[in-house]
Amino acid sequence: MSDPGHTDPLAGVRETLTRRHFLRTGSHLLGGAALANLAAGRPLGSDALGPHFAPKAKRVIYLHMVGGPPQMDLFDPKPGMVDWYDKDLPESVRNGQRLTTMTSGQARFPIAPSRFRFDRHGECGMELCELLPNLGKTADKMCFVRTVHTDAINHEPAITFLQTGNQLTGRPCLGAWASYGLGSMNDDLPTFVVMVARPTNQEQMQAISARLWAAGALPGAHAGVSFRSSGDPILFLQNPDGVSDAVRRRTLDGIAALNQRLLDDLGDPETRTRMEQYELAYRMQASVPELADLTTEGEHTWSLYGEEARKPGTFANSALMARRMVERGVRFVQVYHNNWDTHANVAGRLPDQCRDIDRPCHALILDLERRGLLDETLIVWGGEFGRTIYSQGGVSRENYGRDHHPRCFTMWMAGGGIRPGHIHGETDEFSYNIVRDPVNVHDLHATFLHLLGMDHERLTVRHQGLDLRLTGVEPARPIPALMA
Amino acid sequence: MVPGALLPLLLLVPSAGLHSASGGVGTGHASGEVEFGRDVRPILSEHCFACHGPDEAAREGDLRLDEEAAARTAGVFEGELVRRISLGADHPAHMPPVELGKPLSAEQVQVLTDWVAAGAPYDRHWSFRTPERPGLPEVQEQAWVRNPVDAFVLARLEEEGLAPAPEADRRSLARRLALDLTGLPPAPAEVEAFVQDPRPDAYERLVERWLASDAWGEHRARGWLDVARYADTHGIHFDNYRDIWPYRDWVIEAFTADVPYDTFSIEQLAGDLLPEPTIPQRVATGYLRCNITTNEGGLIDEEYKVLYARDRTESFGQAWLGLTVGCAVCHDHKYDPLTQREFYGLSAYFDNTRVPIRDGNAQDPPPILRVTPPEQRARLATLTGELEAARGARAAREASASEDLAAWLASPEAARAVERVPAGEEHLIVRAAGAGAPAQVVLEGAAREVALEEGASWEEGPSGGGLRSEGASLVLPDAGDFDTADAFSCSAWVRLQPNDRSGALASRMDMGNAYRGWDLWLQGRRVGTHIIAAWPQQALKVVAKAQVPAERWTHVAITYDGSAKVGGVRVYYDGVEQEVNVEAQGLEGSIRTTVPFRLGSRTPGNASGAAVADLRLHARVLDAGEVASLALAPLLTDAVAQGLEPLDEGTRSSLRDWWLRAVDEDWQRWDGEAQRLDGERRAIEASSPTAHVFAEAEGAPMAFVLDRGEYDRRGEQVQPGTPAFLPPMASGAPASRLALAEWLFQADHPLTARVAVNRFWQELFGTGLVATSGDLGLSGEFPSHPELLDWLAVEFRESGWRVKDLFRLLVTSATYRQAAGAPAAKRALDGDNRLLSRGPRFRMDAEMIRDTALAASGLLVPEIGGPSVRPYQPPGVWEAVAMRESNTHTYRMDAGERLWRRSMYTLWKRAAPPASMEIFDAPNRETCAVRRIRTNTPLQALVTLNDPQFVEAARALAVRALRTSESYAARMDAMMLGLASRPLADEELRTCGAVLADLRAHYAAEPEAAKALAEVGESPAPEDLPAAELAAWTMLANMLMNLDEVVTK
Repeated sequence: MSDPGHTDPLAGVRETLTRRHFLRTGSHLLGGAALANLAAGRPLGSDALGPHFAPKAKRVIYLHMVGGPPQMDLFDPKPGMVDWYDKDLPESVRNGQRLTTMTSGQARFPIAPSRFRFDRHGECGMELCELLPNLGKTADKMCFVRTVHTDAINHEPAITFLQTGNQLTGRPCLGAWASYGLGSMNDDLPTFVVMVARPTNQEQMQAISARLWAAGALPGAHAGVSFRSSGDPILFLQNPDGVSDAVRRRTLDGIAALNQRLLDDLGDPETRTRMEQYELAYRMQASVPELADLTTEGEHTWSLYGEEARKPGTFANSALMARRMVERGVRFVQVYHNNWDTHANVAGRLPDQCRDIDRPCHALILDLERRGLLDETLIVWGGEFGRTIYSQGGVSRENYGRDHHPRCFTMWMAGGGIRPGHIHGETDEFSYNIVRDPVNVHDLHATFLHLLGMDHERLTVRHQGLDLRLTGVEPARPIPALMA
Repeated sequence: MVPGALLPLLLLVPSAGLHSASGGVGTGHASGEVEFGRDVRPILSEHCFACHGPDEAAREGDLRLDEEAAARTAGVFEGELVRRISLGADHPAHMPPVELGKPLSAEQVQVLTDWVAAGAPYDRHWSFRTPERPGLPEVQEQAWVRNPVDAFVLARLEEEGLAPAPEADRRSLARRLALDLTGLPPAPAEVEAFVQDPRPDAYERLVERWLASDAWGEHRARGWLDVARYADTHGIHFDNYRDIWPYRDWVIEAFTADVPYDTFSIEQLAGDLLPEPTIPQRVATGYLRCNITTNEGGLIDEEYKVLYARDRTESFGQAWLGLTVGCAVCHDHKYDPLTQREFYGLSAYFDNTRVPIRDGNAQDPPPILRVTPPEQRARLATLTGELEAARGARAAREASASEDLAAWLASPEAARAVERVPAGEEHLIVRAAGAGAPAQVVLEGAAREVALEEGASWEEGPSGGGLRSEGASLVLPDAGDFDTADAFSCSAWVRLQPNDRSGALASRMDMGNAYRGWDLWLQGRRVGTHIIAAWPQQALKVVAKAQVPAERWTHVAITYDGSAKVGGVRVYYDGVEQEVNVEAQGLEGSIRTTVPFRLGSRTPGNASGAAVADLRLHARVLDAGEVASLALAPLLTDAVAQGLEPLDEGTRSSLRDWWLRAVDEDWQRWDGEAQRLDGERRAIEASSPTAHVFAEAEGAPMAFVLDRGEYDRRGEQVQPGTPAFLPPMASGAPASRLALAEWLFQADHPLTARVAVNRFWQELFGTGLVATSGDLGLSGEFPSHPELLDWLAVEFRESGWRVKDLFRLLVTSATYRQAAGAPAAKRALDGDNRLLSRGPRFRMDAEMIRDTALAASGLLVPEIGGPSVRPYQPPGVWEAVAMRESNTHTYRMDAGERLWRRSMYTLWKRAAPPASMEIFDAPNRETCAVRRIRTNTPLQALVTLNDPQFVEAARALAVRALRTSESYAARMDAMMLGLASRPLADEELRTCGAVLADLRAHYAAEPEAAKALAEVGESPAPEDLPAAELAAWTMLANMLMNLDEVVTK
């Protein structure tokens, strides 16, 4: 296992070389490169694999807010909107923007100013919603991008776009690309893990699906491994009732002896690979429960993440698990937090949503920093699109709803080579259009890959005659301003 | 050829084809001659065509290398090409440009140089030439050749200096054959019979036996279902259940009956367009309905219309043409000579359809076909006759009713009937009482006056006149508080303006809470209702098809029976039930809301502009007679007073209709009979599975070229058509899907047969003769055995596209019958077995691994077809991702026999495919998949070690063994024969015996553990067997089930 504390910039490169060695010998890796399965399209030693240069980040924790948080209520204050209360959004601002068919029939587009107070934080002076007091304390360690924009206006295509770089289902997701390009950093855990956190409030949950963490055209072993909050953390991990570790070990030895005989007889290297995978499975049976066992966490952990973190499946618990995973060499941790689709009742729902994430996000940043892991762990937070300044349905001073808005929304990052304390981009007075420094999704992806030491144009997989890449065919570029 | 000649070949592998062209198979040529299709085109394709290929928009320097004439005109073969690729990377004019990131290797430069030196000969891409049957090659070891397949394989082996492997032993052969033909391991008795069978055609008999089995049809169908992207849910957003399994059963039946591949294809692609299509032919078009669909609230229909047509086109390209046509969605294809315009020409065939964009989250979105089960077909036929007779009698009574009506009107009964209007039990009556006067409200029998809201106006009308307002006329907090399971009826007289406004006539609905509640709704002068828990997913919306006349008082009513189904809603105009359109369905959850009942608009600015009079709510369903009474009450009063004479014909007719329904026992008897029979008919239909079918829309098919593939950037309009580089359709063929399907099977079509044969080959040998079985185009792999592929393609076509004949040919070849083992030296020369120097050996597909466990243990329930089943799955797999509103949110495991059906019947939810199968690389069935990848991971080990369905199967297998014999060896053999078709060797018996001893000791000391293990799964463990013994044997069986040999074919 790697030393989580080291900062040698080329360590990752060496790691990869080691990994390639493992690949050749057909050992190591879960959910990932162990597949010495070249037929599945892994061009070993080719230029397609990373890292292409010294990485800033070696791991990623991606916190996706399913549904699309309202940026003007959280990160992009527009105090001037108070004077626009219940007035129609000027046609010149809307400017032909396509609408979902949920509000396209609406006769009016009455502006709903945010009912929340904003406070300034840190030296960077970032203004954050009153519902995010803890996050404010780490504002100087974060990079806020107020001008992300996307192509899709409905959940399925939008979330697919954010996760895979394409609105259509079937492409590899970010985590799968990281697994493919960089491989594993551990001996007995998956490379890419997914957790679906359970929000406290479940008023308007949106669909997610296993396709979001699928490997697409990459070998299946690069797909995310679902880490579950109840039952087996990893599917089928536990021995059946009545089967102790000793019994399992004894039968595995029997399997190994019989397989060895077969291997001697037929000489098929797949048999050897299978023998190794069985041993790996056995190691996982020990390492995953250890990973999931929070009794080793001290009081300081609970005071940092809060008591909610003790409850399996909460966002706080997922954040803590994410820290434990990266500590143990998991390359990519994807967390989903749902219920951000505030078509109605922003005022009623946002406090619950923010309470779920505010303290744990703050805790995660601090915790990683204290453990010396923040520098090489990229944390990403954001939804699949933003929300409209005008209200969907009725508006009052106290409450309102907001429809989907692809033209601008806020995401933030921390750690892993990002530029700390930076506020990027500017939207117009309605948080409707971007005035300065737009950031499209492909550029954002290129930036993530760059931080991981990969050139998004070189990280490719052969698919249907094309060299498929995360950033698609249009030109994309990493954004220097977002990086330290 | 001498072994040393392999050297250049091995050098070529990584250079010419790391990514694509030559794949893992050697492509060198003994003579060193450069062959364009095999050696040169892959290099040009990979390194040059991106800028000098078919895509006009991306072309650089006006140079095109993919077309011979263009390249020659450019004169690059006079020296320029060789010069530019030899300049060196640091030279600015070097080709390919460094920034392309695709440098040529020294060997590739040499190949191109040799090719130019030889005059740069071109030829057409191999797969675009109509295959011709090649002569059989000469081979040295004639005795080895069993059929023509072997001649081609052996010739290549001899060329490479390799010898084929010896024939596999009979046990291995029987197991391989059974798994390949049926997807199941052979029964031990079948294997023993074969081993003992002295007849010279023993093997061929086995082949025939399994080709004739039902399991053959299932196994071949399973392969096709990946291609067809078959699944049991819609895929996007709600990902609700889709009742489409009759299509799956059609595929099984087609393979079982050996329907020729041309018919099989044509019926799926265009069964609906065949002359007088049969039900199975229409069911076959379910293929075109297998694409993923959505009903997401905010979706833009045109966007998805484009996506659906694109998916059908791409799937067609993959499955039948073996081409990546999807690469031409945004621009001309970079490698194949397929233009963007041609892509849209192909897509036009698939876009002219009546299939709606929104699936409605319904299990049976139209168009559908009810497939009556055979045992009910006879009853359905007699029922139709009886129903017609009852309806005829009813109609006859209608024709003769006038006189009796007149007599009745004069009777005292008529006077009483005026009072039959369901009076005294209304939940609510609202009547106006003149301009400015408060309304007369009767709520639950209590009368009171309620002031009108500001802006409400009065006008002359029935029962005290009507109220009209741009907002609500009247607000009542306590009225209309119904829940989802409550039946209710809402009726009123309305007078509509001659416009198309939409709005509520009356409602109790909370706009700020996902429109929860209900309303009496008007849109475009059509009346209907919303009944909503959360709009739009948890809601019913039903609207009459006919318009209400403008500027005339009309009685309208809706009734709802509390069933949460659209079928429980009826709409009436003037007492006559209306045909309706269903705009939303799938109501779950409560519709109760705390907002008040409103007469008139729900929100300002959204008013219907209608006047409403005499509104009544009943807390039950009014039947048709009662609704008619309400509607006819004013007329009836007139008719009783004056007789029929003064009334106009329309009024008389209305009155007669009402009288028949409300009074006439004769009519009511026939109507009751007709309704009963119709109910029976509907019940049969409801129990008949739904086939989702394809249907062509009115008008001629066409499509728009879409700029960059974006739905809202329409370019030129194009007609349906096939790509120019493929043979033209027979002249005079219409622009229809049927013509497209038939075109595939023209004798000169170069792709159809090759693609199919290659895919079937892949099923047996693990890899196709072209490894890229979804891409036989320029960027695909060059075949390992091009002549063999062509020979098989021609054979398949000329034998009438018989799939069983093709498999018979393949599995009886010496090539197939080789042993799978190989010494290291041979593996070094033929690592992936692309030269076929040994028998096929690879890890089985997910379904086969589970089915093997079920079959060997005797748990398997061999029923064919039917609704999909839900076997064991750990809790939370669906729940973790599904929307709460989805009807596939909660996984409810089946019980009994449905737990042990073949894996192909497991319900396939697209957002969360069957967990244990996904881990074994099953595709997610969202798009066409012509080939499964095969990985080897620890997560797979955990499935077969720990999944309850495997543990239960291990116990069942152990029970079988324990009952077979008292002997340890015989018991072990009983298990191994079921799983691997062979007895254990002595050494293996010793190994297992040592394990057994330890397990016995362990479980004897741990009775609780033994008991716990016996309780895994739903099938009860026999109580007569000692628990410790059973536990020990269960774990031995579990051990055997996890052997590499057992999960591998």
